[in-house]
Amino acid sequence: MKPKKNILAQVIISTVMILIILTMIIPILNIFAKSFSDPALSPSMSGLRIIPVGFDLINYQIIFSHPVLIPSIFNSLLITIAGTCLNIFMTTSAAYVLVRPNLIGKKAIMVFLICMMLFDPGFVPEYLVVKDLGLMNSRWSVILVTAVNVFYLVIMMRFFGEVPNEMHEAATIDGAGHFRIFWQIYMPLAKSGIATLTMYYAVSRWNEYFRSGIYLLDSKKTTLQVILRQFVVMNSTETIVRAQDLLDYNEFAKIDVNALKAATIVVAIVPIIIFYPIILRYIKGGVMTGAVKG
Amino acid sequence: MTTLGKGLELNKHATFRKLKADSILYLMIAPTIIYFLIFRVWPIANMRLAFYTFRSKGPWEFVGFKYFKQLFGSPAFYSILRNTLIISFMKYILMFPLIVLFAILLNEMRSHSLRRSVQVISYLPHFLSWVVIAGIWLSFLSPSNGAVNQILGLFGMEPVDFMTSKKAIRWVLFFCELWRSIGWDSIIYFAAIIGIDAELYEAADIDGAGRLNIIRYIILPALFIPMVTVFILNLGFFLNAGFDQVLNFANDSVLSTIDILDTYIYRLGLVNGQYSLATALGLIKGVVGVFLVLGTHVVSKKYTGVGVW
Repeated sequence: MKPKKNILAQVIISTVMILIILTMIIPILNIFAKSFSDPALSPSMSGLRIIPVGFDLINYQIIFSHPVLIPSIFNSLLITIAGTCLNIFMTTSAAYVLVRPNLIGKKAIMVFLICMMLFDPGFVPEYLVVKDLGLMNSRWSVILVTAVNVFYLVIMMRFFGEVPNEMHEAATIDGAGHFRIFWQIYMPLAKSGIATLTMYYAVSRWNEYFRSGIYLLDSKKTTLQVILRQFVVMNSTETIVRAQDLLDYNEFAKIDVNALKAATIVVAIVPIIIFYPIILRYIKGGVMTGAVKG
Repeated sequence: MTTLGKGLELNKHATFRKLKADSILYLMIAPTIIYFLIFRVWPIANMRLAFYTFRSKGPWEFVGFKYFKQLFGSPAFYSILRNTLIISFMKYILMFPLIVLFAILLNEMRSHSLRRSVQVISYLPHFLSWVVIAGIWLSFLSPSNGAVNQILGLFGMEPVDFMTSKKAIRWVLFFCELWRSIGWDSIIYFAAIIGIDAELYEAADIDGAGRLNIIRYIILPALFIPMVTVFILNLGFFLNAGFDQVLNFANDSVLSTIDILDTYIYRLGLVNGQYSLATALGLIKGVVGVFLVLGTHVVSKKYTGVGVW
């Protein structure tokens, strides 16, 4: 009697879970499928379909021929890479300092940082600072404004806290200064922690659209997510489709605006999908491996 | 007196020597401190704009509580506050048990490969930007051939344009947030479940406890601490309600039902240029937010012994 009941429970649980992940995976695959479909057929394509109808790269040809797309991808990459380097540099050096025992003023610094985390000054006061610093229309605005995340700093402190203090003492006796100890002992030992934070920071950098939209007004400096927002959310087709293309292709019925949107979404998702296996490896290592238990 | 004086002197010397030896450490943390001084403390200082009228040239003009009065006197403020509280309630209170339930069900799955697939796929939406999610959902809910309406069609139902329906839009926000967060936010609970001592399960087995009893008497108690912690943090976010989502899901037909404090502040300040009014509202929101976190923390610490720190 009992095993039968367990099997039934398993079937129900598995079905529910599979239905949940289908709602996640089908819409994403549908976007991929639509972007590679024949634009003559894609307007009537079902939202449940995950295989392209026909096959055509025309959507990608059209969006990549617009002069704004490639520079915006380049800007997004530049901001993501430079910004993440800055994030990691500041977060690790601050975390190293804050795990040193007996540092005078440590408590005051921690209280300061937690206050900074709790209180959010809001959009306008920050905007005025960026303006006063003369950073409007400079990529530095977006890079600098989110240089340290206190939450991630605390996570980094936890990783550094696991480095045995004896190693620090031994290195000090050997005459190594803080800088060397930081670079040659802490950084290598906390590699997985740094990798995790790099992923978190890089993902939020790549996905950032709000500040880039406010601070980078020059179309040469704009980022992919901003373009995507103008096109997909605000429905302004001309941000990514050249007027000439609109004219030429429309004559051959080679334009499906929704498929063009899908293609732009795919361009923004691809880097995340490429790095996703690496991201997964560092997500709470224990959670994924611990899943073997039970 | 002399010994005491000497001791103090020595102490001072020791402190000074320690500061000198650690000077490199202060140098290492200086960029972070300077960053917060420029990009947090300076904006906080700028918040005095709530009591002034902005002038791009010359000093701001002090007007006292004029902008606060203007805010509290406008009916828009109350409907926006109401929207914020309703949406927050749905996202932070109504959704809360569903995420815990997801972690429990995940743990109950016996097929390891299936369980892993569920994890791998359900964490993915968390890593997509809100712009991408809005794009995906616009197509997912499309009245012409979006997946949801296709399925409704199978049951003979007329297609619904969820995105422009005042009745549906808050639930769209709810289900989209659930879609994005159910996997990722359940990690903390799932980690707590797999951290449960195996001996507890063995003892329960010997006692002949069924799965439901195990969930009730072993798993749920283990989830208590993470649940309280998340709950306190959620209350701290209560006036946020998810700016990025609303900004990307809003359109003219539904704005009045989902306009929240942050989107209103954004429009007032950065779209209409009413800097002082936006800052005044931001100041209220910031102060109340801090009190919400500290308040819940203190209350929870007193009654459950669990806090954020």
